[in-house]
Amino acid sequence: MILIISTCADKLSEAEFVKPIVIIVGKCEIKHYNDKIDFKKYSKIIICGTALKDNSYLEKIDNFLSLKETIASVLGICSGMQILGLLYGGNIIKNKEIGMTQIKTIKKNQLVSGEFEAYSLHGNGLENLDQFDILAESAKSVQAIKHKKKEFYGIMFHPEVRNEKIVRNFLDFAGM
Amino acid sequence: MKLASLFSGGKDSAYAIYKAMKEHEIGCLISIKSKNPESYMFHTPNIELTRLQADAIGLPLIVAETEGQKESELLDLTEAIKKAVELFQIKGVVTGAIESVYQATRIQKICDELGLWCFNPLWQINQLELLDELIENKFEVIISAVAAYPLDDSWLGKKLDKKTVTELKELQEKYKINPAGEGGEFESFVLSAPFFKKRIVVNESSKKFSGNSGLFEIKRAELK
Repeated sequence: MILIISTCADKLSEAEFVKPIVIIVGKCEIKHYNDKIDFKKYSKIIICGTALKDNSYLEKIDNFLSLKETIASVLGICSGMQILGLLYGGNIIKNKEIGMTQIKTIKKNQLVSGEFEAYSLHGNGLENLDQFDILAESAKSVQAIKHKKKEFYGIMFHPEVRNEKIVRNFLDFAGM
Repeated sequence: MKLASLFSGGKDSAYAIYKAMKEHEIGCLISIKSKNPESYMFHTPNIELTRLQADAIGLPLIVAETEGQKESELLDLTEAIKKAVELFQIKGVVTGAIESVYQATRIQKICDELGLWCFNPLWQINQLELLDELIENKFEVIISAVAAYPLDDSWLGKKLDKKTVTELKELQEKYKINPAGEGGEFESFVLSAPFFKKRIVVNESSKKFSGNSGLFEIKRAELK
């Protein structure tokens, strides 16, 4: 079963950040990070992004601690990538990117490839990502990561806008 | 949270209000009257009638005029949103953006600059689903402008109902037009919606059509 996790503090934002992912994924369970979640029940987990003004997920990292015990494949999008980074020693830094951004793949992987344009909407970035491989970057920041030992992926841009194939790539290879 | 709605008078901004009202209070509407019919940001037909729509809904309306030049119109929009903050203490903005990264990026940047929340509840929505939802929820919507073959003058003033939506779906398959008009194929005007206190009745109208584009001009309308 696939689990979609909302990181939206405001329910109205879910139409914008969760529903487009659900449309791509199809059959799935949807939960909010404030719900009690048994992460072990799922083979694939996607943590969705949230509104630019919403940083409340940063106060709730403890809700994700048991995610570290799962053997599921995880894709963190925007705030979801920030959560994965924080779980494994990363730090949040200020880094605003809004609008179409040029992304360059720097390490061969199953999620992204080549150079492409993607829709960015974030005020934060990550540093101290020693436990991750950097898969792709923009001129300003790290844009895609993979945990060195686990199937945990993070992407800072929003693949649900014009890059749906990246979500499908994750669904295709994850949990295999 | 009190929000301002960027309101063109068409189906998308009206449906975004409908969704936003389920979670928040709408404090005011903002309409941008562009002198440039080719505006990158703002849809223009019957924009004067947003005043009548605001009365029908029972909400205050801020109208900002712009010359409609590519980037200066964003300054006019910023000023209008600032006015909504001052007059109605809004904390966020709701838009009917669906696909346009151009519009969404610019509105996100303005909200960020002003410290406001930005909500786009129709973002990436399946557009055929949107048409079905409008009909299911009893939105009364007419086509106010067309700008794509084979939409001819017979479409001007036509109501969006199950029959017209089926026709639009057929045209999508045959001519690849976007059935929700997102590519500018047509513009719409909302006469009534579940959150309207009164409905708009068109008493006098005219059709102008030349080449592949046409306009349904509402000359006289009243609230009932």
